[in-house]
Order: sequence, then structure tokens, then C-alpha cells
Amino acid sequence: MSVVSWCHWLQNTSWATSLRQSDFFFPLVEGSHILALSLSVGLIILLDLRLLRLVLPSERVSKIMNQVMPWALPGFGIMFVTGLLLFFAQAEKVYTNGYFRVKMLVLVLLGINALIYQLKFYPAMAEWDLSESVPRGAQVIAVTSLAFWMIVIACGRLMAYEL
Amino acid sequence: MSYDSHTIDILRNSKYAIPVIQSFHLFGITLLLGSMVILNLRLSGIGLRQIPMALLAKQVWRLAIGGLLLAMASGFLVFLPDPARYAANYAFRTKMVALCVAVGFQFLIYRRVIRSGAAESGSPRNIIVACCSLTSWFLVGWAGRAIAFLG
Repeated sequence: MSVVSWCHWLQNTSWATSLRQSDFFFPLVEGSHILALSLSVGLIILLDLRLLRLVLPSERVSKIMNQVMPWALPGFGIMFVTGLLLFFAQAEKVYTNGYFRVKMLVLVLLGINALIYQLKFYPAMAEWDLSESVPRGAQVIAVTSLAFWMIVIACGRLMAYEL
Repeated sequence: MSYDSHTIDILRNSKYAIPVIQSFHLFGITLLLGSMVILNLRLSGIGLRQIPMALLAKQVWRLAIGGLLLAMASGFLVFLPDPARYAANYAFRTKMVALCVAVGFQFLIYRRVIRSGAAESGSPRNIIVACCSLTSWFLVGWAGRAIAFLG
């Protein structure tokens, strides 16, 4: 079975059809997906801007991370669950959409970006956490994160148009 | 019409203008609502307690204003080519009223509260102020999302 025919089957299951056709639940899921941006990406922006020393330069990076991540992670959880539901409801249309594919690709790159931070810079954080400067590599990761999240948001928005 | 009609023509005729401007509208919303979540978690005493309120009130407030200005400027450009349709839309009307309430609350009450020393603790007053702020901003967001569904 090809992916497209699987998507076709998926969106025509009874529950995906009723979600797509619901005047209440579909807007609720879509609205939650968009507004949970505040809890997920909105909080990551604070961390990225701190790495670039554009906000709260006097506060330790590790402290900002500890304070922000317990809220950002559930935010990303909401994004993932609502995003999955939106995909199920419109799988065929979404799968063939170019902006959706770019969005998924950039999300994978963001995952790799975060992984590099965790493996390369996070373990040695105690060494640069207190100093005035942030390693150049960590700053590159912050800029990449900000730019890629903008691409993800834009692709998510552009998906809805017939372009 | 006192508006520059050339600009309106571009907005109306280009296939990409409005979708791209809508993307910037979402960047602004993310920055604004994200900042409000940060400030209100701290104000209510629920989260971010180790970061001094005075710093957030000064620096994250700036991010919130930046997000608000970006959202309002891009929102105005989306409204411009099709004002009659938006003016007739009940979700849009609700959004504008909620926006006025949110901005009014933010500048008349909220700013004073987060800049006062009493904002350090999650007192009942601070929790109520945080709830009012988040409710008003998310009402703007939900009403905005509803515009598309009410045609």
C-alpha cells in the first residue's frame, strides 16, 4: 500500500471523518495547535534570546533552562497531539502539500539542532554558564533555532492556502 | 479613499502577499502570547520563580510589546484589502473589542502591578491579575482563529 493510499484510508476512517466534519472539535483542535505556540515556541524563544545575550544576560543559562523547560515540554506535547489529530483528519491533502513536507523536514533539523546542544554544550554548561560569554557554537544553535522555528510557523500557516 | 490604493492592489492581487503577511501575524502572536505566558507564570507564582520579577517586567515586557506591534501591523495589512468583509464578521468584531480590553488592562493596570515590589510574591491579587491578563489575550487569539470559521 502506498503512503497516499494509506493517507486516504486514514482520513476516511469514521473517527477522522467525524473530526474533520465537526463544527466544534476541528476548530478547537486547530485553535489549540496555533495558540499552544505560545507555550512551546514562545518559551524556547526566551532561551534562544538568552543564549544570544539579548534578554536576561545577568541570569545563568542553566537557570533559565530549568525554569522554562517544564512548561515548554508540555507545550510541545500539546503541539504534537493536536498536530497529529489535524494530520489524521486531512491526511491525504496534507501529505501531498509541499509546505507540510518542508515543515516536517525543518522540524527534524530542529530536533538535530537541539540534540547537538544537549550532547555538545549542555554537559559543559557549568563552565560557561557563569561567564559573560556564551560559546560561539551555542550561539549558532540559538540563531538556527530561531530561524527554523520561523520557517516552521510560516509553513504551517502557508499550508492552509492553495499556493 | 485616503489609503494608498497601489498598496491595496498589491495585497489584493498577489497570490503570496496575504499568506506571507499572515505568517508574520503568527510570529507576532507567538512572541506576544509567549511573553504573556512567561510574565503570568511568574506573576501568579506558579512558575519561573527563580527569575527576578523586576528583570522579566523590564525585558520580557519589551518582547511582548514587540510581538504586539508586529501582530497589529501585519493584522492591519490583512484587514486593509477587505475591510467590509472583516467588519461584518462577528468573530472579528469580538476580537477587536477583546484587543481593546486586553491592551487597556495591560497598560493601565498590568504594567503597574508587575513593576511594583508586590509582584514578587504569588499573592491572591497577583493570581487574579495574571488570570485576567491571560484570559484577555487568549480571548483575542481564539476570536482571531474563529474569523476563518465564521467566513
